[in-house]
Amino acid sequence: MKYKDYYKILGVARDASADDIKKAYRKLARKYHPDVSKEKNAEESFKEVSEAYETLRDPEKRAAFDQLGSHAAGQEFRPPPDWSQHFASGSPFESMGQGGFDDIDLADLLAGLTGGRSRGRAGGRAGAREGPIPGPDYEAMVRITLEQAFHGTEIDLDLSVAEYDERGVAHRVPHRIKVRIPKGVIDGQKLRVPGKGGKGMQGAPPGDLYLDIQVQPHPLFRTSGQDLYVDLPLAPWEAVLGTSVELPTLAGAVSLKVPASTRAGQQLRLAGRGLSRPGGKSGDLFAIVAIVVPTVVNERERSLYRELSESSNFDPRAHFRLGAAA
Amino acid sequence: MNIDTAEALSLDENSEVSFSQLLVLSGLSDNDLRELVDHGALTPINPNASSWMFTSYCVVVARKASRLSRDFELDAHAVSVLLGFVEKIEALESELHALRAGALGHGPPGTSDTVSR
Repeated sequence: MKYKDYYKILGVARDASADDIKKAYRKLARKYHPDVSKEKNAEESFKEVSEAYETLRDPEKRAAFDQLGSHAAGQEFRPPPDWSQHFASGSPFESMGQGGFDDIDLADLLAGLTGGRSRGRAGGRAGAREGPIPGPDYEAMVRITLEQAFHGTEIDLDLSVAEYDERGVAHRVPHRIKVRIPKGVIDGQKLRVPGKGGKGMQGAPPGDLYLDIQVQPHPLFRTSGQDLYVDLPLAPWEAVLGTSVELPTLAGAVSLKVPASTRAGQQLRLAGRGLSRPGGKSGDLFAIVAIVVPTVVNERERSLYRELSESSNFDPRAHFRLGAAA
Repeated sequence: MNIDTAEALSLDENSEVSFSQLLVLSGLSDNDLRELVDHGALTPINPNASSWMFTSYCVVVARKASRLSRDFELDAHAVSVLLGFVEKIEALESELHALRAGALGHGPPGTSDTVSR
């Protein structure tokens, strides 16, 4: 079992008062709660903070934790020989030998002392002393490519989950789940996989698995909901005269007709070429025009540009004068 | 090893859940869920019906409410206010994201800022 220093996680002294612990938790919860925080690794940090607070706010669990002694964070350790007599009496851990703690998480060990889940179905823990208890829900973040989002995909998820033995003791076990992701999912979308959470106890139903979708940035396409955006560089003469270009889409390249007199920044819409919407029409693909000028021109080109400059009446800054006159 | 493939369901505006399903899925109490509806944090599809139905996106909102209530020790009214702010921030972020996506991602190679005098 790996040691976690709950005092250090909350940034309080080992003799901190209950009030100080609560203040420290609230400060860190405000900083790291995944529903309100934009901090990097907010979810992981909040899980640690929440776990520490769950233990230190409860006098019984805090006393049991204190008796485990002080170790370096992450260090392998086992509870002292007489620990279970004092703190696990009547709990499923009472009969466990010294070798039985290897696959047990510190939080599960301490939660098992008081038995039962204290924090509702979402993310709660099961104990052996209650009636039927629905399985806990699992949550996982899934990173997929834009191509996978467009076509739909199947992913293998490897989770480390708590499974309860016949005494109600939680053991950490690896768990692999294969999930079909529907096409058209977007960045930040939540998906629910019914019945793929933790096992229920005493005939209760299993929990659900919730997936938080993250779509990786694409080298060509940007997304906004189900719409896609791609930059379309054009040479000046292509923008003036119009042209036909091969445009990449997630379903393969298409031929796009660029009308004459196309302006920089103009958005050319390809209807229905975005991500599909569940139960509705697909999003669109927008090609955003950029006029790109050559950085190196030969003598012939320079001469043609000069000729164009002398014969053209086009004034791209006419509005400056109109503005000045007003 | 033979692993069954499970279907992931979108939590969006296109499917529905009942009041009792939302209770189970969110972990909220009956009273808290009704209060969230009273405060406008959740809106049933059929507010005048005897048994409320919700879009399945409400599962995302209700679970968020459950987490905020539990982790910050807030009552339903405070959670509703907080959810309103979170929703506004998310809408602004979404708008900003759309503007960024619609803007040119990469300038032409070799462009640079110039200073005129």
